[in-house]
Amino acid sequence: MYNSGMQGSKPRTPYHEFYADDFTPRDHYRLLWDHIKATGNSALEAKAHESQLALQAEGVTFTVYGESEEGIERIWPFDLIPRIITAAEWVKIESGLKQRVRALNLFLGDLYGEQRIIKDGVIPAELIYEGRDFRREIVGIVPPGGIYTHVSGIDIIRDEKGEFLILEDNLRTPSGVSYMIENRVIERRILPEFFNKYRVRRVEHYPSLLLAALRALSPRGTETAEIVLLTPGIYNSAYFEHTFLAKEMGVELAEGRDMVVVNDIVYLKTTTGLQRVDVIYRRIDDDFLDPLVFRSDSSLGIAGVINAWRAGNVAIVNAPGSGIADDKAVYPYVPDIIRYYLGQEPILNNVPTFQMTNVKDREYVFDNMERMVIKAVSESGGYGMLMGPSSTPASRKEFMGLVQENPRNYIAQPVVYLSRHTCYMDGELEARHLDLRPYVIYGEDIEVVPGGLTRVALRKGSLVVNSSQGGGSKDTWVLAE
Amino acid sequence: MRYLIEHETILEYPQTVREHHIELRLAPRADGHQQVISCNIETEPAAELARYTDYFGNRVDYFCVIAPHTRLVTRLKSEVETLKENPFSFEAVPPREEQEWLIKAVRSAPPLNDFVLHRSLLTPTAMKLAEAITQAFPRRDKEKPLLDSLLELLAWVPTVMEYRSGSTEVHGALVAAVAQKGGVCQDFAHLFITVARSWGIPARYVMGYLDPGINETGETLTTHAWAEALVPGAGWVGFDATHNLLTNDHFIAVAIGRDSYDAAPQRGSFKGDASATPPVVTVMMQEQK
Repeated sequence: MYNSGMQGSKPRTPYHEFYADDFTPRDHYRLLWDHIKATGNSALEAKAHESQLALQAEGVTFTVYGESEEGIERIWPFDLIPRIITAAEWVKIESGLKQRVRALNLFLGDLYGEQRIIKDGVIPAELIYEGRDFRREIVGIVPPGGIYTHVSGIDIIRDEKGEFLILEDNLRTPSGVSYMIENRVIERRILPEFFNKYRVRRVEHYPSLLLAALRALSPRGTETAEIVLLTPGIYNSAYFEHTFLAKEMGVELAEGRDMVVVNDIVYLKTTTGLQRVDVIYRRIDDDFLDPLVFRSDSSLGIAGVINAWRAGNVAIVNAPGSGIADDKAVYPYVPDIIRYYLGQEPILNNVPTFQMTNVKDREYVFDNMERMVIKAVSESGGYGMLMGPSSTPASRKEFMGLVQENPRNYIAQPVVYLSRHTCYMDGELEARHLDLRPYVIYGEDIEVVPGGLTRVALRKGSLVVNSSQGGGSKDTWVLAE
Repeated sequence: MRYLIEHETILEYPQTVREHHIELRLAPRADGHQQVISCNIETEPAAELARYTDYFGNRVDYFCVIAPHTRLVTRLKSEVETLKENPFSFEAVPPREEQEWLIKAVRSAPPLNDFVLHRSLLTPTAMKLAEAITQAFPRRDKEKPLLDSLLELLAWVPTVMEYRSGSTEVHGALVAAVAQKGGVCQDFAHLFITVARSWGIPARYVMGYLDPGINETGETLTTHAWAEALVPGAGWVGFDATHNLLTNDHFIAVAIGRDSYDAAPQRGSFKGDASATPPVVTVMMQEQK
């Protein structure tokens, strides 16, 4: 999979988003830079304080697990200096994401249908049949329009040369979009003058885009569409987002126990009786969705919902079974998947990836663990991961054992030094690493919301941006011209 | 042979349960080996039944009882005609070409991969199994027809364990049965499947019925389980490891899967106190003259 050109190469300097060199900002940052220089740190301090108060007042929070059993609710960490993406850069990102999401949906339709891609030998059968997220229970069911991932969040990073690369696909229940919107709301409030100087494209219409896509799926027609956002409940780390989106879209927020399936029709239990549900925007994993067909011990799901879906009486968003397409062991094949279904070269490249099922790859990774990121294929949120540069001999040994026990369950990537950006940290301007998660909605057509969630590794030198691992965020400005 | 099957399952709960959803894999398969003449399912309380065909080609009948209840009964009545066949009468593929035949079969039908690759507590890796077993594993001799090796495997299974009624749990780990050298028909089928898969042969689990007249286990139940392996030239061939027997017209196949879990006859989910008494199952299989 990987050519060994990496061997012997030295860590290079990460790309800086803000500065072209030590003294000069990039052109599109000049206005902002001039302003910061003119007003000084005390003005920034005042604005940082203002943003904190606003986040607190708005109740923008997220929940961190691991420190205690219950999880701790924290104020969303926000850095006031925006990340700016030029119109030209965005054209490439947008077309690359549309291409990728289109191909991944064709791939899912094929996997749960004829499996041409396996018969043609483009991807190995073992990859799918040994994947935890290949759902045999839904084989043969064709969702409306053949669309599986109505909402995708694709993580993009920038390498040392400034090239945008796809780091991972999130096709199950991608989260973070509420923070993209909240960041914009706060930024407009604290830096209003810049929204006149820069032509920043809007992101606030995301809920209405999503709502339109959900309505269009209603089996009873868009006019009468009853939509429910299915949440696992208040202990979920994304519960803030569930309430936010339900409120913004004006749809019901419900847990599995609030619904019941009667003869293949899904109902919401309301104070005035049962009310038919047409579309479920679910924010729980396949495993927990229906105790009748998936995990029988799940109390979060709705028994019978898969049969109702098969009967065509309800739409489920994203479609069950989507997870196999963002399985990290499938990821290295996505460029081939794009070529196979679309006959095009990928517009955005992958990060080079080692497959642990390949003995040579595996040995190379074991010999170079300090320079690798090892990831469990079915985990997300920065869990089940070894960051080579900050690893200890004990943690490396542990991961070696884990990989040897179940090679299909792991991949490795050489550490990519994510691009950096200026951040306002406790009174100083400092560089921190970041990535970008744009959101893609697949309704009538594929639409990429111009912007996304820029996540920042708040700890100096850290490359881990996940909110669940102490990451922060920035407003992301995509320029109209 | 023509058989009448009656299969009744009674579930009772000490406290009322509600919002009860049930899936049944009880309807006999209609295939080249058997014809389904009639098949009726009734429930108590009465419910509206719906149906679909699952990934493994099993007919699934499902229904729900929403109102509170303490008892739920399902009753199947089916008449099936099984065909007398000679399991050895097929156009054999020369032994040296058998592997190629299998590779082609799997390549053109990727879902067959499941019957080669699937590993679970019920059908573990051969390595896990070897830790619990003292006998040497039978080997597949590629110079001989695959069917010969499979027949050796079939005869080997009862040397590893003996039939002991109620000795293992439903969907219990195979190594537990092997370690105690005793199990029920499910364990025999799983052991056969596990070794066949370690040879790279597609093998699957079959849940069904066996004519009590030839069931030698002394089991009063007529529900039974066996294995099928894909034999070049012949297709799926049934192996009853419990009796060291190729299946014949005394067997009625109901559901297939990678292991017994996939082919479970009844699966349910309900709201309420989970402490149910064990289901009471009665099965009648009668030859129709």
